[in-house]
Amino acid sequence: MSDYAISVKNISKKFKLYHEKRDSIFEVATSFFQKKRHHEILQVLDDVSFNVKHGEIFGIIGINGSGKTTLLRIISRIYAPDSGSVDVKGTVIPILALGLGFHPELTAITNIYQSSILLGFPKEEISKRVDDIIKFAELEKFADTKVKNFSAGMQMRLAFATSVLVNPDILILDEVFAVGDVNFQKKCFDTIMDFKKRGKAIIYVSHDMEGVQKFCDTVMYLKQGKVGMIGSPEETVNAFLASEEKQKQ
Amino acid sequence: MTTIRDEMWKFRGILFNFAITDLKIRYRNSILGVLWSLIEPLLMLGVLFVVFSTMFKFEIPNFPIYLLVGIVCYNFFKNGTSFALNSLTNRSALMTQIYFPRSIPAMSAGITASIMLIFEIVVLAIFIVIFQFAPPITILLLPLVLGLLLVLVLGIALPLSVLNVKYKDTEFIWMIVLSAGFFLTPIFYQFDMMPTQVQNVLQFSPMVQIVTMAHHVVLYGTLPSINTILYAIGSISAITAIGYLIFRKYQAKIVEEV
Repeated sequence: MSDYAISVKNISKKFKLYHEKRDSIFEVATSFFQKKRHHEILQVLDDVSFNVKHGEIFGIIGINGSGKTTLLRIISRIYAPDSGSVDVKGTVIPILALGLGFHPELTAITNIYQSSILLGFPKEEISKRVDDIIKFAELEKFADTKVKNFSAGMQMRLAFATSVLVNPDILILDEVFAVGDVNFQKKCFDTIMDFKKRGKAIIYVSHDMEGVQKFCDTVMYLKQGKVGMIGSPEETVNAFLASEEKQKQ
Repeated sequence: MTTIRDEMWKFRGILFNFAITDLKIRYRNSILGVLWSLIEPLLMLGVLFVVFSTMFKFEIPNFPIYLLVGIVCYNFFKNGTSFALNSLTNRSALMTQIYFPRSIPAMSAGITASIMLIFEIVVLAIFIVIFQFAPPITILLLPLVLGLLLVLVLGIALPLSVLNVKYKDTEFIWMIVLSAGFFLTPIFYQFDMMPTQVQNVLQFSPMVQIVTMAHHVVLYGTLPSINTILYAIGSISAITAIGYLIFRKYQAKIVEEV
């Protein structure tokens, strides 16, 4: 058994890319008689392997469509890989993008309950912490407001506060600092550093290269679904930028 | 089936949370709120009662109670399956961000429908009092019949929830099945009023058998015939087994389709 918090081995994932998606039974029936194929196979991830240690911030960089989000979804069990295996030590792995799958018609409080229960937290514990979550997110005035009326920044704050106070073993952050003001970014940063100190593994995906270099211990560069490089932040970011520069020419 | 049961137990918190939030969302911005689940069967009862007791003059003893038993059973079936239809599509945002078993939304649709069923049973009880109908002791068996109906609802809810993500036609087809089913189920008539050939076909409908059983235990004070029981259990097991297989085939990759 390894000491890694996350161990990803030879993950591959293909998607069918439909050019004209067949959504109705009639279309399926008629296309049965046509020889033409309606989709092509898109290799989103190709033999990706890496390990994340406890207390490590692991950055993932790559251009849009390089398979970052798909990889995160496989780690958090949302997608099943076609081949390869993911070994995760720890129970809770939220993907933190904009919101936590919040329901727009429910209030902030109800959404906190729903997300935390989904993340495996007992209801009594949530009741104890719900005030802290609201306070951390600085949403005291909006606790009973429906999430559909929230701004992007407010949703982000609520999502971050919820997942942090649920205290996961592994935190997955997908472009968290894209929204949110300077003060809250500082608060997020401090919290993430505190997580790191407590030996939790963090996966951090971003297009902000400065942030990645400042933040991460190790960085992986995903290039068209393959591992382009895994190494120190400076080297990997430089390799990434050089490679993208070459592509342009 | 064990894997589904284990997942259900592990995620039972979210099962009820989904059911309650579904009810909340359903009745948001409505003044009467959950009372709507009482008003709907009452209105149905009123219309059917007027039409079939004054215009067509069906000679069914205790007709209002007879009607209401059928409506309550059929509403449970309709609610459970139609809530399940959109249970996954409504949660597409959630599905792509947090993992939860794909069976949970359909199962919680069954719970939401069960909660509404309880309200409707209260209405039934009130009507039993109003019409001074003395229910036979066999009425105590009604929960068994409704339990069997719940199995049927879940057995259909599971495949509907994934099929509707894959093929949008599912919803339209199912709505037609539901409205046709209402007329093909002995809710406002008695099953033996039908021609024998039709009876021979319709006896395979689980709803026909369920409603017949409910009439037996609530109204007649007799146990349903062994034939009825066997047909009901047979057709419901078959449907549930097929439904589960369909669900299992699609569930792993369904998140990629939402």
